[in-house]
Amino acid sequence: MQDDRFEQPLQDAARAYHEPPELDAPTRDAMWEQIDARRAHGVSSRAWWAHPWVGIAATLIIGIGIGRFAPFDRGAPATPATTTVASANTASPLPALYEPTTSQYLGQTAALLVSLPAETHGGRADAQFISRATNLLLTTRLLLDSPAARDPKLRSLLDDLEPVLAQIVRLQAGENTTDLDLINQAMEQRDVMPRLRTAAADLSAD
Amino acid sequence: MSRSHVTLPDTNVPFPSAAAGGRSGEQALIARVLDGDRIAARELYDAHVTRVFRLAFRLTGDDERARELTQDTFIRAFSQLARFRGDSALATWLYRVTLSVASNLRRKYRRLERETDLTAVADLATGGPREADPDLRDQMAAAIDGLPEIYRTTFVMHDVEGYTHSEIAGVLGVAEGTCKSRLFIARGMLRKVLAPFMKE
Repeated sequence: MQDDRFEQPLQDAARAYHEPPELDAPTRDAMWEQIDARRAHGVSSRAWWAHPWVGIAATLIIGIGIGRFAPFDRGAPATPATTTVASANTASPLPALYEPTTSQYLGQTAALLVSLPAETHGGRADAQFISRATNLLLTTRLLLDSPAARDPKLRSLLDDLEPVLAQIVRLQAGENTTDLDLINQAMEQRDVMPRLRTAAADLSAD
Repeated sequence: MSRSHVTLPDTNVPFPSAAAGGRSGEQALIARVLDGDRIAARELYDAHVTRVFRLAFRLTGDDERARELTQDTFIRAFSQLARFRGDSALATWLYRVTLSVASNLRRKYRRLERETDLTAVADLATGGPREADPDLRDQMAAAIDGLPEIYRTTFVMHDVEGYTHSEIAGVLGVAEGTCKSRLFIARGMLRKVLAPFMKE
């Protein structure tokens, strides 16, 4: 079976195949800095849902969802006379059918956005992260087309989240950090995360 | 099929278990890392990074991806170091982690890469793509890229990076005989690619 004619070409092919460059000291140090930083921030291969912030974010956003929408459904909205966020109570009621989905969606979206910096490396995100973003994008569009979007505040939030999630989904093909920069810019320009925090604060004041 | 068939490239980097002071020194280093000693972590990294990076580059063929794979390997290795029981050399375990992470990354990049399957390798053997890309080296590289992962890994580790069958078997968790069979099959596939050129 052995044929000596093939040995030299096979050797040559093996020698030339993806020949690694010399690993110089600066590259070695740069990689270590990344590793050390990621270790320091606790970014590891553990499951995303095991991170502490997921529970915090989910609790926060589910609280927002329940706090915002439960009174509407009861038909007896809380009406504190002194509140400055009374506009929230002018919204159309969120159908009870959509409450669980909306609450879950808000929690998962907040968790995803909070984890964005840690989950992207060199402008790319891993497949699992992209899959989560894709599912959330689909849910966003479904909610936008549903009676849940009659609530103007929710609709406004969904309108802002939809392009952000769409850009995150694009990170799967990202070759540079441009897309990530655009996402961060969009989130900053639309004040996505501050609005969530403000909403939470407003609700706690209700 | 012996290793003497291949003149090994620049694999003059020592197998790191020796470089790290043997198994006892290795265990002491691991204990320090697990105690949170960052200097020890850097020592462990320095002892293994060259071989890990070389393997990563051979598997990915891309500098950026090789660095990403190397970093992810060490991140995962440090996070799972407490689970390392010392049944094998740390280097062996580390290469196992490298291959596992590489497999994940390979799936991640699958859509971005031209995937050549067995059929494509056969096409190369029949001369299909040869007109489009007559360069033998490129054809061979494409053929190696297109080998099923278990064969490619074995070929890369043995014929390209110079690991012994014993080392590869330890890393892959298979018998040495399995490792030899895989290499035999891999080389057979590559010979099919070479055959049309050898007739000239």
